[in-house]
Amino acid sequence: MSPQIALHDAVFRAYFVVVLISLIAGGAILGFLRFVLKKDTGSMFRTYWSWIIMAGIGLIVVFLGRVPIIVGVTLLAVYAFKEFARASGLYRDWWMTGAVYAGIVTVGLASLVSHPRGEEPGTGWYGFFVAVPVFAIALILLIPILQNRARGELQRMSLAIVGFIYMGWMFGHLGFLANARNAYGFVCFIIFASALCDVAGFTFGKIFGHHPLRSEISPNKTWEGALGGFCVAMILPWLLRFSFPFFETRDLILTGLIVGIGGQLGDLSISVIKRDIGTKDMAATIPGHGGILDRIDSLIYAAPLFMHMAGYYHPLR
Amino acid sequence: MKKWRYDSARDLDQAPIDRLRRFPREPDMLVYGLRSICALIIRGLLRIYNRFEVIGHDNLRTNRSLVIVANHCSHLDTLCILAALPLRRLHRAFPAAAADYFFQSVPRLWAAAVLVNALPFGRHSRTRKSLTICSELLANPGTILIIFPEGTRSTTGEINEFKSGIAALVAGTDVAVVPCLIEGSFRAWPKGKRLPLPRKVRLIVGTPRNYRQRSADKIEIGAIASELRDAVIELGKGGTRSPSAWLKRMRLRRLT
Repeated sequence: MSPQIALHDAVFRAYFVVVLISLIAGGAILGFLRFVLKKDTGSMFRTYWSWIIMAGIGLIVVFLGRVPIIVGVTLLAVYAFKEFARASGLYRDWWMTGAVYAGIVTVGLASLVSHPRGEEPGTGWYGFFVAVPVFAIALILLIPILQNRARGELQRMSLAIVGFIYMGWMFGHLGFLANARNAYGFVCFIIFASALCDVAGFTFGKIFGHHPLRSEISPNKTWEGALGGFCVAMILPWLLRFSFPFFETRDLILTGLIVGIGGQLGDLSISVIKRDIGTKDMAATIPGHGGILDRIDSLIYAAPLFMHMAGYYHPLR
Repeated sequence: MKKWRYDSARDLDQAPIDRLRRFPREPDMLVYGLRSICALIIRGLLRIYNRFEVIGHDNLRTNRSLVIVANHCSHLDTLCILAALPLRRLHRAFPAAAADYFFQSVPRLWAAAVLVNALPFGRHSRTRKSLTICSELLANPGTILIIFPEGTRSTTGEINEFKSGIAALVAGTDVAVVPCLIEGSFRAWPKGKRLPLPRKVRLIVGTPRNYRQRSADKIEIGAIASELRDAVIELGKGGTRSPSAWLKRMRLRRLT
């Protein structure tokens, strides 16, 4: 993956057009609602503007190639964990947060370097990548021992481990996907599909929503919205089949399930954390969306599942 | 099972830029790390590029709360004083910076809040509130407050009259006030210049003093402010010390 290859890669060019069309379509629908039907769109234009900027940044990073993707994913993971640490109060413990940051950077490095013995460069070190949690958790458990402290340490260790595994390692799979032979198709599809699934869920929920999905966790989500998002996610693999031409029907169905159900579960699991902490958004980084973590929550859940499913049936390299 | 208590940051609902503007800020480890690394780089650069030296270093080696009072004619002044502090006290050192200058545009705001750990000080409005924040900070042990009582950078290199806010802050309290004189920063980086020149900069640290016995009425405050100004000017009158002469004296002191 490099800018020259991206320029001539049919999949990347197709995604450029697809993203452009969806942004224009979204803007047209929003404009129609606001100026023709005179509906109250509230802060939706701010949200839409943020989408445009995020799509632009995303396309540029994917265009630039493998290393920028991995570095970008690592930076996002660092920032997402920072938001989690600030919301949960873990950020007051420098050593714990430092250990998790070190772990996240290690995940990025494991995706970047290749296996020290043999194998072509630019393939990532899969064995180490999968084993990083062992070392990171060992480091996290070591910290209270080195500091000779026990009071409240279980909470800190748990928060640090959840933060590392969830925001660092699981999200890091998105970076590792850039090592696949079919990297453009995989990376672009999983990002685009989970974003579209989110938007579809939100839209269907706004239009048809009546029955609360999980009233104790996220009062605004409805069964109708979840079903709408699920249906869109099930259709998408067929619509965007050019991104993985070697996928069979079984793989396409699994992909749809992972994005449709996994993505929404990721959304809900971040909501559980937010609900317990007692905050509405993790931060206010992206206008109209909340924090970085609120934006990438479905990707955190869907990306690793997708990578391991795809890797099981069709080896990544 | 008992519910866990989460001690969230208090500025979660604010955009990143607004988080930098508020005070006290709630940085996490990344900010501390970045600040420490940048401080080390700045220290190195000052030593090499401006041949920066500190005289009276021992007056800063204490764990008590300090108010450092200095003359001001350049952005280098703040960096010099920060470079003279022990690194572990860096994150508890707050240079008072003009809220109307440093806390408006984003690049300056970022530099002031992240790199320098500045305290937004209202020069024209909300001065009283800023002073209250300062005295609350000083109540914690180990706080270092860096104040330039002239209120702005001198455009001539001369030391202007001191404003009385600093005196109101320290009158009748036990806090140690350290007068400092910065020599050469006006020639190295005067107001209006884009980049600093490689001129020698020297920081002379005076002995700490306090104003516990003084009351905070108007006359006394004016008197304290001018006493402090005299103390700062006095530091420069130790003769035109060349560094070699100073080194000789230090060596002599060590021998005797």
